[in-house]
Amino acid sequence: MIARLNASPINWRLIRVRAGQNPLMVVGVIVCVVWIGVSLFAEQIAPYDPLAQDIMARLQGPSDAHWFGTDQLGRDVLSRVLYGGRTSLPAGLLVIASATVIGTIFGAIGGYVGGLWDELLMRFTEVFMAFPIIILAMAIAAALGPSVNNAIIAMTVVWWPNYARIIRSLVISVKSNDYVESAHAIGASPTRILFRTILPNCVAPALVMATLDVGNAILIFAGLSFLGLGPEPSSPEWGRMVSDGIDHYDQWWLSTFPGLAILTVVMALNFIGDGLRDLSDPRTRKKLG
Amino acid sequence: MRRIVVLLIALSLGMVGMGGVIAQEEQVLVVGLSEDYHSLDPSRAYEPGGSLVHHSVYDTLVTFPSDSVSEIIPNLAESWDISEDGMVYTFTLRDDVTFSNGDPLTAEDVVFSFNRMKNLKDNPSFLADTIASVEAPDDLTVVLTLTQPDAAILAKLIFDAFSILNADVVREQGGTDAEDAAETDTAEDWLMNNSAGTGPYMVANYEPTVQTVLVRNPNYWGEPAFFDRIIIQNLPETSTQKLALEAGDIDIAMDVIADQVASFEANPDIEVFSTQSDTLIWLLMNADPEIGGPVSDPLVQRAIRYALNYEELRFLSGEGANNPASMVPIGFAGALDPSEGFAQDLDKARALLEEAGYADGFTIDLEYPDFNYIGTEFGIVAQKVQADLAQIGITANLVPQEFQVSLDLYRNGEQGFSLWLWNPDYYDTLDYVEFLPSGVVGNRTNWTDENADPAILELRDAVKTELDPAVRAELFGEIQRWLQEYGPYAPLFQPGVHFAYRSDLQGFAYNGQWRVDLTALSR
Amino acid sequence: MALHKYLARRLLLMIPLLIGISLVAFLISNSIPADPTAANLGERAAADPEIVAAFRAKWGLDEPLHVQYLTYMRNLLQGDLGTSIRSRRPIAEELARYLPATIELATAGIVVSVVAGIIFGVISAVWRNRPIDFFVRFISLIGVSAPVFWLALIGLLILYLRLDIVPGPGRLDARIPAPPYMTGMYTIDSLLAGQWSTFRNAVEHLLLPSLVLGAFSSGLITRITRSSMLEVLSQEYMMTARSKGLKERHVILRHGLRNALMPVVTIIGLSYGSLLSGAVLTETIFAWEGIGRYAYNAARTLDFPAIMGVSMLIAIVFVVMNLIVDLLYYWLDPRLRQG
Repeated sequence: MIARLNASPINWRLIRVRAGQNPLMVVGVIVCVVWIGVSLFAEQIAPYDPLAQDIMARLQGPSDAHWFGTDQLGRDVLSRVLYGGRTSLPAGLLVIASATVIGTIFGAIGGYVGGLWDELLMRFTEVFMAFPIIILAMAIAAALGPSVNNAIIAMTVVWWPNYARIIRSLVISVKSNDYVESAHAIGASPTRILFRTILPNCVAPALVMATLDVGNAILIFAGLSFLGLGPEPSSPEWGRMVSDGIDHYDQWWLSTFPGLAILTVVMALNFIGDGLRDLSDPRTRKKLG
Repeated sequence: MRRIVVLLIALSLGMVGMGGVIAQEEQVLVVGLSEDYHSLDPSRAYEPGGSLVHHSVYDTLVTFPSDSVSEIIPNLAESWDISEDGMVYTFTLRDDVTFSNGDPLTAEDVVFSFNRMKNLKDNPSFLADTIASVEAPDDLTVVLTLTQPDAAILAKLIFDAFSILNADVVREQGGTDAEDAAETDTAEDWLMNNSAGTGPYMVANYEPTVQTVLVRNPNYWGEPAFFDRIIIQNLPETSTQKLALEAGDIDIAMDVIADQVASFEANPDIEVFSTQSDTLIWLLMNADPEIGGPVSDPLVQRAIRYALNYEELRFLSGEGANNPASMVPIGFAGALDPSEGFAQDLDKARALLEEAGYADGFTIDLEYPDFNYIGTEFGIVAQKVQADLAQIGITANLVPQEFQVSLDLYRNGEQGFSLWLWNPDYYDTLDYVEFLPSGVVGNRTNWTDENADPAILELRDAVKTELDPAVRAELFGEIQRWLQEYGPYAPLFQPGVHFAYRSDLQGFAYNGQWRVDLTALSR
Repeated sequence: MALHKYLARRLLLMIPLLIGISLVAFLISNSIPADPTAANLGERAAADPEIVAAFRAKWGLDEPLHVQYLTYMRNLLQGDLGTSIRSRRPIAEELARYLPATIELATAGIVVSVVAGIIFGVISAVWRNRPIDFFVRFISLIGVSAPVFWLALIGLLILYLRLDIVPGPGRLDARIPAPPYMTGMYTIDSLLAGQWSTFRNAVEHLLLPSLVLGAFSSGLITRITRSSMLEVLSQEYMMTARSKGLKERHVILRHGLRNALMPVVTIIGLSYGSLLSGAVLTETIFAWEGIGRYAYNAARTLDFPAIMGVSMLIAIVFVVMNLIVDLLYYWLDPRLRQG
């Protein structure tokens, strides 16, 4: 009970009221829902098989038969864009989810326990953050082979330190709050305090950051593809499609449409993230209120 | 002393030419290239991009005409004799050739250059493998003695690595042609920003990965070239080269890909030159059953050759591409006519598979280096092969690999089924003997004297030492047909090669050896 | 704690970090299942066992791993970063050429993003939830949401090819030689040498790449500035300032912005650090030979000494940036000084 004195940072009813005052966030949610729907029902919506090649019809511009044109192997770009979310979206989510979990574990321990463990954690995360991701990603790709899974691994390895540090600093700032002291005084065990009291208060800022980072992850995938480290070439992944199309900029439809897909998804996620921040921050809530 | 002074004057002239302000009348040529070389030491020259520099700055004993590689014509050597047994070549040098610092060319410079190239043991040194010795009985005569008859030796001598350097100058800078040159030669550093050649240009400056600048050689012994200065700018992306050419910032784009050709052709300010290249794109099928699995079976190998859609592969590769009949590219003496090549025949392919015991097909990994070789995107080709093979029941799992990793596996013979390319090391069909058992590629396919059919071994040994062109052509024909039946390879296509340049440029000619002769260009 | 003690502590802590980085770089390079001989020797040379043996001996590739590592560290302490296997030039020399290019680009990029970001952020906070707020946020988000190499190409297509407003790829026009080397940054060096046309050309070549590079961080800075300003604007001392009758603009700029700056400084520092570690994608499209490109090529050709060298350099840059940010914190927040 006492642990809940400071109310849960996200009040759902309030959010629905606020939605009207925050149209960008609503747009963001709608766009995300649409893309999730498209990815789930791609089979029903897409006019062609995304892998079906038609060499003699390659590199043709948008037409009645192919609304978004065809690519270097004659595959329908529209269908590939529709299927593309199936790889890009879960990949981005997975990276951030893994990074968050790993980061939280380390960050919580470091922040809560403090002292030597904390110092070690800070140094350890610094090594990872300072290390150039290019070299790390290329090494992983070389060692394990270029593929979506390995790209996810590479990105997770580089990303979790961010979360570790955020969670750590959040834990530290929450740690010194009164209700934590009271919990101590009552005799609650450290683990209990950590899980019941401290961590729930870290959820909101971490969630905001995570939402924004999913977009980032999708962008970095595209970048890794450009460097040749991404998923298998035949798979319709947006980042891969954009980078494959760079050399063919006269055939502008190759890069533009998947690029727009990435743009819309990431912007939507950004709107949502910003909106969440506005809603969860008690000070801005007060001003709204 | 006088030589040094002259050299210094020549160099400072070059540097002044480079200084802050550029004279209005100076003619400058700017070339856009994806730089692939790291050294300007010609004795180590191995990369195609480097030819732009070496061919303008140095000369070789013999050379090709400007637009073909089928004839050998005199260059620094005005004539030569070949002994009856084909083991001794005697060259007579021109007497009017001077180096960029004014020194006259002597046979001693040739001896030095050849020995240095061989003893540096760098990438191109294998070209001198058949050379036993090189001597200079007098100032204008060079005697080359071989270890065995080598019909390709003259073609090899045209390589940049056999460029003739000024022995005195290079020695002064720490160069040596002794046996231990690999450890003791220190001239490479100097050669990076200077040159000691007989060509129409000299190296003025080399900024690695940025640009290479050449300036006119004031002491050139032949017809002066048109441009006063040549700047070779490193533009690694083909899309950036295209943009720069369209905007007029560069005069020639060296790395044009097939899909850009149509857009260039529609542009009135730009000319495009397309032709078939000598690169061969092919499938490797490991002859060792433990590594190759199903594809080590000659019946399966032939089935795969029948399964591919060659016409579509050619269409995929774009303008200028062609399908060679076998493992000798079109354009080489003795290559089979393309009409003798395979055409897709899915029924035959399936029948062969059934005969081999794979009526239900099989699954196999198709490994390949995931990179783009001058417009040929290996990933795209692999996907096409995958689609074709699927039609006869073979499921090929694409395994893209980091280029270095793939190259390593390939060279160690550890790839079972993979996609690769081959560029000729020199312009003679003899180079393709490397695909035969125990050759460089043969070894990588684990196709050696131990497991090969004696018939092909016999053919191979015969053609290696044969000198008569007619007999050679016949032998190569037989070899190619044999490979079509039983060889562990599938030739896919020869990609086209394309160049684009501003319309006001004259004198453009393409030669497979040095690609574009910058010294012949004018405006 | 006192400033000099703080500095000393941080600098000392850099040492184990660098050792850590060098270990990681070394282990990573050696876990790639490919041989640098394959990467750096041609087809035939690699098939000749004698040449391969000579190559391996020359680069010490046959020594056991720990010997290789210790040899490298020993040389490093003497200031020798080794020689690149690929280009055969001293790595220190190469880094001295590549790093200034990235510094130039990153600095230009950060200037663009800070100016745009702070202006947008302040506008967005002050006129919160009005149309101008949404518009500004929308614009800044495009930079954050689009793949940077795509933006670069679109930028080149439109601004270079169609409109001819900016020059093409590269740091200078091909026909203009580089200024004499002082810092390695063409803008500064050409100024120092008095070459005005070179200076102008170098600045022109910086325009588009810095715009593209700055697009992403400007979005971040906008967001942070906005949220930070919002927080500050609602604070009590702001109300005090207003009630004193001070002009609104004065209130915002003097009192609001100064306190809002701290988290902004963090983001700027982090962004600058990441830009410095090499925006390889932008550098590729613009043919800008910087550290990002260098790291990429080193990794691709398994150039071990180069991989080690560039990893350590990037790490140092990152750590130094962190330190500067922390020092700025210290300076901006009087409370910390008493700590």
